[in-house]
Amino acid sequence: MKKLLLIVSLLMFALVSFGAGELVINSYMSDPAPRKVFAELVDQFREEHPDLEVTVNTFAHEDFKTLLRTWLNSPEAPDVATWFAGERMRYFASKGLLEPIGDIFEGGFEAYFPEAFRSASAYEDEIYFVPQSWYWWGVYYRKSVFEELNIQPPITWSQFVKVCEKLKENGYIPITIGTKYLWTAAGWFDSLNMRINGIDYHMDLTNGDIPYTDEGMQKVFEYWKELIENDYFIDNHTSYTWQDAANYLFTGEAGMYLMGQFIKDVAPEDVKEDLDFFRFPIIDGEIGLYEDTPIDGFMIPAKAKNKEAAKTFLKFIASKEAQQYFAEELGRLAANKNVPAPDAHAQKGLEMILESDGVMQFYDRDTNPEMAEKGMNGFVEFMVYPRRLETILKNLEMHRMRIYSE
Amino acid sequence: MTTKKWVPYAFLAVPLAMYSIWVIYPIISTFVLSFTSWDGVSPTIKFIGLKNFVELFNDPYFGVSVINNIKWLVGFAGVCVPLGLLIAMLLDQKFKGTKIYKTLIYLPMTLSFVVIGQIWCWILEPRHGAINTILNMLGLESVGWLSDPNVVTYSLIMAASWRQISYTMVIYLAGLKQVPNQLIEAAWVDGANAWKRFIHIIIPMLKPATVVAVTVSIIDSLRAFDIVYVLTRGGPFYSSSVMANYMYIQSFHNYRMGYGSAIAVIQFLITLGFILFYMRYVLKSEEER
Repeated sequence: MKKLLLIVSLLMFALVSFGAGELVINSYMSDPAPRKVFAELVDQFREEHPDLEVTVNTFAHEDFKTLLRTWLNSPEAPDVATWFAGERMRYFASKGLLEPIGDIFEGGFEAYFPEAFRSASAYEDEIYFVPQSWYWWGVYYRKSVFEELNIQPPITWSQFVKVCEKLKENGYIPITIGTKYLWTAAGWFDSLNMRINGIDYHMDLTNGDIPYTDEGMQKVFEYWKELIENDYFIDNHTSYTWQDAANYLFTGEAGMYLMGQFIKDVAPEDVKEDLDFFRFPIIDGEIGLYEDTPIDGFMIPAKAKNKEAAKTFLKFIASKEAQQYFAEELGRLAANKNVPAPDAHAQKGLEMILESDGVMQFYDRDTNPEMAEKGMNGFVEFMVYPRRLETILKNLEMHRMRIYSE
Repeated sequence: MTTKKWVPYAFLAVPLAMYSIWVIYPIISTFVLSFTSWDGVSPTIKFIGLKNFVELFNDPYFGVSVINNIKWLVGFAGVCVPLGLLIAMLLDQKFKGTKIYKTLIYLPMTLSFVVIGQIWCWILEPRHGAINTILNMLGLESVGWLSDPNVVTYSLIMAASWRQISYTMVIYLAGLKQVPNQLIEAAWVDGANAWKRFIHIIIPMLKPATVVAVTVSIIDSLRAFDIVYVLTRGGPFYSSSVMANYMYIQSFHNYRMGYGSAIAVIQFLITLGFILFYMRYVLKSEEER
């Protein structure tokens, strides 16, 4: 009897280990809210696939960006990795480091996602990226502060400047920002450039086709200068991370923050309801309304060990249920077009985008990574030393010519 | 019992193999890479000769990095070493509580640079950090420790020195124990005052300790990375950049392994130059004795 039991248990063990596969997912969702929700999603996946051993490795968001490159090249590549759509993804796809995954979509990519997302998820007509969520950028503000000072959300640039002035007069920091990791300044650049020069110009610039010393660029920085020289930005922003800067909005010391919807991820509970946003102010009435809508999602490294399991996971992640769960818990917009907006706040964001004439990903997701680093450093330097604009643009132009000629 | 001739080599074989794989090979590899333009990702590597070095020569940010490293060098060798000696002299006396002071001052050595960086990040926070709060209480204006491009490198050196001083202090404490007490007493009997005793007896007897302290300070200052990366990433816009940080950003953020390797080679040569210069000076004065 004992012998039989032993054989049976050994057999079962063998069966389980044969059927078992390992799935390794590397994620950059290090902020507590998305990290928790993603863990719950993975648990749901585990229930549906008990034969798979799923490991999720979470890395600090900023460090992940540098680590990814080493993983993609190593034989120990993860099976699934979080990443950004657009040029950031295409950079790796063009080097053959990603696995094409067009075959996981029943009925094709467009059955799941809006057509507008295809170009950001594909390289040379092959799909390499599964979008999960996207968000909009807007000027976030404290409703209570605006109410107290009787301020209406501005629509035009001149109204916006007046709001800044009123906040300043009443002892508030008009605009908070944390430029330690640079990309928050790129948000200002993108918004200003798309308002002043339009989306085609912005796209050409991020493709490296427009010189940084161009006349159109000068105008962008002129408007930016107006805010800087009036001291509307918080002091010492180069020493703050974006979360440090957001704290000033949460404590009520600052009035506004140009930021993505994910600012809600780090807002304390009692402040969340007091946060609202308005569209970046209009500068030129003739130019259409364009916004940044960065798309986050997943991809499979070409060197992944268990591509079968990886594709199964991506199929799960692309499904309406999984996307709806993630979106609802975090108030984001699901990429899956069959998922409705999770709450009134997200609905407002969605409508703002639906009313827009076009979208881009974000400066450091639309342009070559090295150009992005140089460009963003230039923007931050301009914010601290606006008088240096000419030298800064000349330098950026030098880099652009070198980078795009290779 | 006679030892077989091959025995020492057998003992050396394993560490030598590890050293070759983990140290020698990467050094050679970096030198080779510095002549290429490789993005660290593609399978093909393109040789471009000395182009990286030419670009480095004309790169203003690299210039800023080298100058910052020199500032670090002056800070470590010019400030931390003498201060370490001073503290060691103070604590070498017999009074109550020397052990406690020694332990407390040694504490930063036990912390990793990343932790030190994070602590100083809070201390130097512009609005609510300890230093600016104290300054404000005294009626002085806040300083942009990590945001003012003119101040930031000195803030970083200050944070790193907090640890470096512990290190030099320990070296000098050990060195002071080697100074024979009879020499000092003899000089005292002969009528030499404290200052003369210090200059003519203690400092010369501390030469070995000084060599160690200065050499380590030179090397540590020229390879500074952790504090810079954690506190500012070389920002704002490269004003606090040092060679190691610049190399890291070029190699791993900008996908330019070839260019980053060139920076590493130059950093190596500069460090080697300083060490050789210092060693020659020390050896020369040893010969003169």
